[in-house]
Amino acid sequence: MSEIKVAVSGINAVDNPGPGVGVAKSIKEWNPKAKIVGLAYDPMEPGVYMKWLIDKSYLMPYPSQGADAFIQRLLYIKENYGLDAVIPTLDAELPIYIEYAQRLKDFQIASFLPTKEQFRLRSKERLNSVAQKIGIKAPKTFSVIDYAGLRDALKEVGYPAMVKGLFYKAYKVYTYEEAVEKFNEIVAQWGYPVLVQEVVKGEELNLVGVGDGEGGHFGFLNIKKLWITQLGKIWTGVTIRNPKMISAAENFVREFKWRGAFELECIYTPEGEVYLIEINPRFPAWVYFATGAGVNLPARLLMASLGEEPPRDWDYEVGKLYVRFSDDFVTDMGLFQRISTYGEV
Amino acid sequence: MEKLKRLAINEEGFAFDPETGNSFVLNQTGLFIVKKLREGLSEEEIISEILKEFEVDEETARRDFYDFMEQLRILGLIDNK
Repeated sequence: MSEIKVAVSGINAVDNPGPGVGVAKSIKEWNPKAKIVGLAYDPMEPGVYMKWLIDKSYLMPYPSQGADAFIQRLLYIKENYGLDAVIPTLDAELPIYIEYAQRLKDFQIASFLPTKEQFRLRSKERLNSVAQKIGIKAPKTFSVIDYAGLRDALKEVGYPAMVKGLFYKAYKVYTYEEAVEKFNEIVAQWGYPVLVQEVVKGEELNLVGVGDGEGGHFGFLNIKKLWITQLGKIWTGVTIRNPKMISAAENFVREFKWRGAFELECIYTPEGEVYLIEINPRFPAWVYFATGAGVNLPARLLMASLGEEPPRDWDYEVGKLYVRFSDDFVTDMGLFQRISTYGEV
Repeated sequence: MEKLKRLAINEEGFAFDPETGNSFVLNQTGLFIVKKLREGLSEEEIISEILKEFEVDEETARRDFYDFMEQLRILGLIDNK
């Protein structure tokens, strides 16, 4: 296998980890000769120091600093270290990668991303219409911009209710006062609108997949989170095969011709109904679960981005257990000094 | 009964639902009852099998059986009557 160089973001393997380390592990398992380039936003991201996994790391400018600086940085990496493909894993940077995918391709930096239109489907305001098209339900959701709207929406959905930002943050509230507090908190941090959503009772199930952009896919993995942290992040999980959720995922890639990685979060009610809660247009932080269960989705996505035909089998075993654990190591302060002063190490 | 039938159960009584990821631990009696339910035996037939298999009087067997059935119902593994 060749020595391809692949950039991966989200190497912040902390208590709320990004997916980058899981992606890097998956790529190395598929091709031990592959060189992983870590794209960090902070010198303290643990991936920067995990030299056995991430061969070279660079500090990136924040996407909010503009696309030019961002693209220039990638081109600098290409010129100085070499770069064949990039796998972005963070929501905030995806719009730039999507917008400039062709330009990066012109510079021989491959990617396999959803289109702009597909990316917009992740908006929680569109959950209802997406759910309807893929044959499942969505919790009643109202988009509100003021207290009057908030009160009306809460009357419709009752308590407890979810108060959510359009893309980030979600709180379960039990009283109007609590709802107002969370409404203000979301507005202060993320702006308008705020979403008020019905709470659906049932099992939370997740599915990760890679759409081929033509209505098919390069594999799915369906899981249940068994144990989560206080931040709601998976600590242990198990592979499952929920026919209704899998059929919804098949409809999703077919209906929207989804291209690239995605994660669906659903609630499976005791009555056997599936409700769509969230669509993420990227790999989840637990993506290594798929690799460990025999469906190396990051490697398949990389193959697709390089124009190769990835395998499509995904006959994983049900009942495989995922265990996340804390680990630590000691390294040299010089690494921190170099990434801080030169922006690369 | 459909939910009970889809459970993967091992000999030690560990039961796993492949559609929801939930798992349950059955004791010897629970495992015995679940096996008989999956074989399609009626409630009366199962109680009579319990009396044959375990050293227990009928009143206790009947009470324990219905308690267990109620637990299965609460867990959503069998439908409400």
